[in-house]
Amino acid sequence: MNPLRSFLFTVLLAAAGAGLAATADAGPTVTDCLDCHGDATIEKSFPDGKTLSLFVDEKEFRQSVHGKGTCMSCHPDAKAPHGKLGAVTCGKCHPDAEKSYSQSTHGLVHAKGVQDVPGCDDCHGRHDIRKAQDPKGRTFRLNVVEACLTCHEDKVIEERYGLPDQKVMAAYRESVHGRAQKKSGLLGAAVCPDCHGNHMILPGDQPRSATHRQNIPTLCGKCHSGILEEYERSVHGKGMRAGIAESPVCTDCHGEHSITKITDPESKVYVKNIPRTCTACHGNEAIATRYALPKKRFSTYMDSFHGVALEYGMTTVANCASCHGFHGILPSSDPASSVSKANLPKTCGKCHPNAGANFAKGYVHVEVTPQKAMGVFVVRVFYTIFIGTLVILFVLHIGMDLLGRRRRGEPKTGGTKE
Amino acid sequence: MSEESRNPVYVERMSVLFRMQHMLLIISLLVLAVTGFALMYHENRLAQALISLEGGVLYRGIIHRVAAVFLMAQLVYHAFYMLFSREGKRELNEVWLSRRDFDDFLQAMRYNLRMGNEYPRFGKYGYKEKFQYWGATTGVFLISVTGVILWAETFSMRFLPKFVLDLTLIIHGYQGLLIFVVLLFWHLYIVHLHPSVFPMNMAWLTGKVDAEWLREEHPLEYEKLKGEGIL
Repeated sequence: MNPLRSFLFTVLLAAAGAGLAATADAGPTVTDCLDCHGDATIEKSFPDGKTLSLFVDEKEFRQSVHGKGTCMSCHPDAKAPHGKLGAVTCGKCHPDAEKSYSQSTHGLVHAKGVQDVPGCDDCHGRHDIRKAQDPKGRTFRLNVVEACLTCHEDKVIEERYGLPDQKVMAAYRESVHGRAQKKSGLLGAAVCPDCHGNHMILPGDQPRSATHRQNIPTLCGKCHSGILEEYERSVHGKGMRAGIAESPVCTDCHGEHSITKITDPESKVYVKNIPRTCTACHGNEAIATRYALPKKRFSTYMDSFHGVALEYGMTTVANCASCHGFHGILPSSDPASSVSKANLPKTCGKCHPNAGANFAKGYVHVEVTPQKAMGVFVVRVFYTIFIGTLVILFVLHIGMDLLGRRRRGEPKTGGTKE
Repeated sequence: MSEESRNPVYVERMSVLFRMQHMLLIISLLVLAVTGFALMYHENRLAQALISLEGGVLYRGIIHRVAAVFLMAQLVYHAFYMLFSREGKRELNEVWLSRRDFDDFLQAMRYNLRMGNEYPRFGKYGYKEKFQYWGATTGVFLISVTGVILWAETFSMRFLPKFVLDLTLIIHGYQGLLIFVVLLFWHLYIVHLHPSVFPMNMAWLTGKVDAEWLREEHPLEYEKLKGEGIL
């Protein structure tokens, strides 16, 4: 601050002080404060050469949610002339928000004195705070992602606190939710706080977190309620509610930040990727054993005409979901299941109109064992032995025939030449 | 055969019609094997390369079925020809299986193991040729029937349970392997690697064989031709 300005500043403060004294105990009005703080160049300099702007944009303030209040509401110690003001405590008026924040991962770290963790102002702003419903507000649905990404796309912060890296954040931008929000401006698109919460954000591995495994279906169901209803009735949904940790929740099949449309070849539930997505659990020996699930689901499917055709890019063939369903999957033992004995003709009939009740006899894509597929097992063993034996006999015969030929070549009967 | 000065006399062993059938059989069976095994062993890298070469599973299937139509048409034509034409009837008579073929086989084995003193004397077709012929014919018949069931899958599904179709598929595949093995080991031996014909019996191209070879390997046929005054 140059001496002239410093002088002016002091004079102005003194003048303001005089004015305040004249208007008795009500304290300084916004106008009073703006006498100094309305100057766009007002700043404080620190010994290390850094400066801090002390400017308050009157227009922004007047339009903010607190625009009708006074400066004293937040800065009770702001009596001219004043030095450094005490910290603003939003919790005085917003106790619930403060309580939630103090329990959140941001709040807990903040309480330890870490400075680059977001406090109220980092997300909500300071003098320009607007309601979340206000399209100009920082926490408005279509703006809040950028507010979160200010830190969560900052490499330094990510590394310092071991946060999910930029790829995860970038994946959100390209996800079906991110695109709906950013490109189409849809208010219904899920943005960060919809899943993670706002003041009460906790890492997903904590049971109280909104994004903890056991809370995921309910969380997604906030918007996708019809699907949640279907999922709750499914074997996976029931398993999840029964506390079975391995039972899949939405994110296991769809991904999290990277959720894309099912028509996107990158999607985990794109037709070609479905068998591998299901196999993540159904091909897992431990899971299959623990819950007595049928084994070799993947290999028996991939060996079928459907599997081979899918592998080579024919997307019209049946994948797991075509027969088993997806959100409402039920075990074949359940009469309501699309793969129960009684429903199989109908399910197969979706693509093969001639597949009748007769067709549904026997098992579909099972391990070739005597219990499940006796016929195929026997034929396979028979042919293997038969062909193997035949080859051995051929070789033996060829060997013996050659011996015989040598013998025929020997001069004995005179019937042959040489 | 020594290099003495003799004028080799050739006699016809395969007529033009049979050579043409044989040629078609080679082509259709090779195409069927390449496209079929690519599917049967689809998890194998080579098989995957073959499927891609064949234009993906869709075109692989089309090629396979086109070749199958040729093979089946040939099978039907061959059956009619063998049953009703003059040449066919004669050939059928020659290749017809009899008790004697089994005896010949045993006798040959005894001779080879020095347990007997006479090597059997074969007619136009010995047990080796007959085994080849009937083995391949029944194989092709079985693989055709199973193939048609699988091809007409929409029709088959109406009458056949899934497990029957599974069986059909597995029989079709293994039958293909069986035919392939028989051709590879047996055919390769009797018309290529057998010392009397090595490197190859040219009859499938020229239709003719050396009368001297006939006298050694098929003496009865040789004598019959002599008797008929052809030689």
